[in-house]
Amino acid sequence: MNAAYVAALQVGAGVVLFCAVMTLWRRGVRTIVSLLGVQGLALGAVALVLGLHERNAALLASGGLVVILKGVVIPGVLLRASRLDPLSRETRPLVNVPASLVAAAVLIVLSYVSSARLTSLAPSVATRLVPLGVATILVGYFMLVTRRRAVSKIVGLILVDNGIALVAYLLTSGVPFVVEMGSSIDVLLVVVVLQFLLLSMRRHSDVDALTERRELHD
Amino acid sequence: MTTTLWSWTTSLLQVVIVGVGSLILIGFMAKVKARAEGRVGSPVTQPLRDVRKLLRKERLHAHHSSLVLPFAPMIITATAVVAVWISPLVGTHPVMVSGADIFVIVYLLLTGSVAAALAGLDAATAFGGMGSSRAMTIGALAEPALLVGVIALAIQSGSSNLAVIVASTLHNSDHAFGPVHLFALGALVIVVIAETGRIPVDNPATHLELTMVHEAMILEYAGPELALVTLGEAMRLGLLFSLVANLFFPWGVATSSSAAALALGVAALVAKLLVLALVVALIEVRSAKLRLFRLPELLAGAFALSVLAIVMGLVTR
Amino acid sequence: MLLVTIVAIPLFMTLVTALNPWRAWIGRLSAAANVAVLILGAWLGVQTMSGARVAAARLLRADSLSAVMVLVIAAVAVLATSFSAHTMGREIDAGATTRRHARQYLLWLQVFISAMLIAVLSANLGVVWVCVEATTIATTFLVSHRRTSGAFEASWKYVIICSVGIALAFLGTVLIYYAQLHAGAGSTSLNWTSLMAVARQLNPAVTRLGFAFVVLGYGTKVGLVPMHSWLPDAHSQAPAPVSALMSGVLLSVAFYALLRFRAVAELALGPSFPRTVLLIVGVASLVVATAALIAQRDLKRMLAYSSIEHMGLMAIGAAVGSPLAVAAVLLHILGHGVTKAVLFLSAGEIYTLEGSTEISELSGLLTRRPALGSVFGVGLVSLLALPPFSLFVSELTMFRAEVDAGLAWVVALSLACLAVIFASVLRHGRHVLLGARERATPADSRGRATIAVLVVALVLVAGLGLSSWPLSPLLWHAAHLVTP
Repeated sequence: MNAAYVAALQVGAGVVLFCAVMTLWRRGVRTIVSLLGVQGLALGAVALVLGLHERNAALLASGGLVVILKGVVIPGVLLRASRLDPLSRETRPLVNVPASLVAAAVLIVLSYVSSARLTSLAPSVATRLVPLGVATILVGYFMLVTRRRAVSKIVGLILVDNGIALVAYLLTSGVPFVVEMGSSIDVLLVVVVLQFLLLSMRRHSDVDALTERRELHD
Repeated sequence: MTTTLWSWTTSLLQVVIVGVGSLILIGFMAKVKARAEGRVGSPVTQPLRDVRKLLRKERLHAHHSSLVLPFAPMIITATAVVAVWISPLVGTHPVMVSGADIFVIVYLLLTGSVAAALAGLDAATAFGGMGSSRAMTIGALAEPALLVGVIALAIQSGSSNLAVIVASTLHNSDHAFGPVHLFALGALVIVVIAETGRIPVDNPATHLELTMVHEAMILEYAGPELALVTLGEAMRLGLLFSLVANLFFPWGVATSSSAAALALGVAALVAKLLVLALVVALIEVRSAKLRLFRLPELLAGAFALSVLAIVMGLVTR
Repeated sequence: MLLVTIVAIPLFMTLVTALNPWRAWIGRLSAAANVAVLILGAWLGVQTMSGARVAAARLLRADSLSAVMVLVIAAVAVLATSFSAHTMGREIDAGATTRRHARQYLLWLQVFISAMLIAVLSANLGVVWVCVEATTIATTFLVSHRRTSGAFEASWKYVIICSVGIALAFLGTVLIYYAQLHAGAGSTSLNWTSLMAVARQLNPAVTRLGFAFVVLGYGTKVGLVPMHSWLPDAHSQAPAPVSALMSGVLLSVAFYALLRFRAVAELALGPSFPRTVLLIVGVASLVVATAALIAQRDLKRMLAYSSIEHMGLMAIGAAVGSPLAVAAVLLHILGHGVTKAVLFLSAGEIYTLEGSTEISELSGLLTRRPALGSVFGVGLVSLLALPPFSLFVSELTMFRAEVDAGLAWVVALSLACLAVIFASVLRHGRHVLLGARERATPADSRGRATIAVLVVALVLVAGLGLSSWPLSPLLWHAAHLVTP
């Protein structure tokens, strides 16, 4: 077992979760989106490391795709959306920042405890890191639910996607390349759709008033 | 030399270096800050001179204070000295090293903090009470982060004894640069800044009511007791810095009982302390003090980083 | 060849729409294309009775279950696209929308239909997921077509909730793939056939987790409680043909994915776990929809909640897992799809002609516009599962299967809920349809044509209810495929 491979895999997966926790901590929207970019690069690095170790060309291609798409393109699209509001900061989340961070710590421990069954099916260096992916999913979901600003919610959604992608890489060395391509393009298109919605809503009136609207109800 | 002689020499060296050296360290940090801000600043040995000046003054006690006021400085300094005595700073085998458990060290430091807080309350002034409550709030948030962070290291090394952790990090260099150590380092740097009362948590040079935390607690002290408090606080800072330096960068620590190893250990400790002090001073220069209600964010972040370090340790075993 | 043609036709239409500006003939051509797909789907149904068809380098695969889904997708698509051609022209003339927006609408509609067809004809469960995600993206643009703040609010909620749900479905798919990789049989593709072959050797703990996520994830797209909150908003704010497609078919396509995974889970875990999970979400959906239908104020929201109710009934039917139950569920998919489409399209006509779909603002529709009113009324009768319509047959059969499986309490609960729903919908329908109003100007020839199409659809549903020939062998064959 190559020590460099093990170390690179562990650091990559650790950085993915670290970026997720940092997005809960920082408030500036531009900072959060940059963290998302770093996370995308780390995710791609994990795929590339796995691909090099297993000599899997499809995984290498998938890693390259992730680096470009989730590390560069998607944060770029989001930065453009946030440029409409350059000083935007998350000022009144539903759960304040210290409590969110403590909740993140709880979620991380929870994911470690609940992923034991997944690791025990096929223990290896990669599958032992699965709790980090599950924790990213939970942190992303938490962010989606507790943040008010539209861009923060989108970031939470992308965190969930990245977490699931990390779990897929660690458990099954990725999914068949067709599915991987489709999934990446879908994520990109979701971001584009959300960007389109934000722009259209902004033309109508203030964005966040619309994302918090409760006018459609019974 | 024999093991007992070696242990006693190690411990004595540690107390002397940390005792005198921390005061110089504080002066060094002030000098770095001054230079970075374009001033000349006071000389590096200024805190030593301040202590000497204070020792010559008369003892003054506030009117309504009790025995707590004169005893608290002794407790602060005594706990600091004991902690320095048994911690693996210069070598891995000081006296009573089996007692150098994480929990022992942390609770020794905590006893000192509680003594200081009680002293702040004792003089029955508004400033003292306010300082005590703020200091205890910061402490309550920083302690879990500190404990959890060091426990992450303990999980990796298999024991909560600090000397064992230092020795195991020395032996496994891949641990030293692994993700567990990285995250724990980040968390502990924040906690150390909080515990020693530096910017961005607390400004050690201010006496404004709005911004005082630690200074408010010791406002009522004068003369020799203030000198003792200053020494005790300096030793706590020195201890915390040395622990961070040795837990994460243990190279140079004396593991064998020879004079050469001890000399190397002393030199390494001094060098690491200077580097760490430089880093902290530069952080101080570059940041502004955080508003009090933003402190829970910072410390909760440190806590989250520590938990991250623990889970990383568990998944990378 | 057949499969490739079925997939190629809507893709070709997408290309045509993308390359041309808005023209009325494009809308009519797309309706004709969907008629062609319907005919081809019927032929596919005949073919797959004798075994599955594979095409396009094993990327596409059709068995009788896929054929049933193709039939329902094409049938509703015919209705929706012919209406779209009609309503878009009308809206452009009235200045309610621009040619550019109409063209985008038609383009995304075609993408939507193509994605659904590829989803049911794909061999790989991962590609099914990609297509269902693609439908989310396409329908978001469609839901926000009207560009009002209500439409934007609905599409924002829709895309966020469904994206999270779809992501969970992906996680479930990955977990089941992981179990498959370590089932020791050497098969490493996400194809449904290879998954079914090794299903008995899948690790139970991992499969349980994966199936739960799949139910949560695809259940979001089906509109099952507790992930249903996007449904009333999205289905009521979208243009009528889009609501028809979404309510009638998209929910069923996601349900199709659930059926496939349920078969795998039953082989791997035994019948009790999948049954319990599906029962919980099914009963919850039924109860929540019942409660919500009592005090509805808007016609389209009422229809949306009725969709949640029917999806709940179908989930309960799927929970039983016997061939009789699943055959009834498939019949229900067909009947509900066409009925819901008819209802949404007539609600759309009501909106255009009367200016509102608020129940309080409508009355006397039967006297004002007899043709439209009777179509809507008969549609409601069909929705309430009254004979002779096929929903009556499918619900009765599902209840019989549930009693056979020892779930008589579920039948009792369902009957109670259906009784409440019957009363609520009847009350709302009575308010809308009855009353003394003077007759409005009679519809023009195009309006008469659209009503005629809806009447034909209703007649078909009634015919299906009277005798499910020639579909019953196909339904039985399909049911046996997913009930091991």
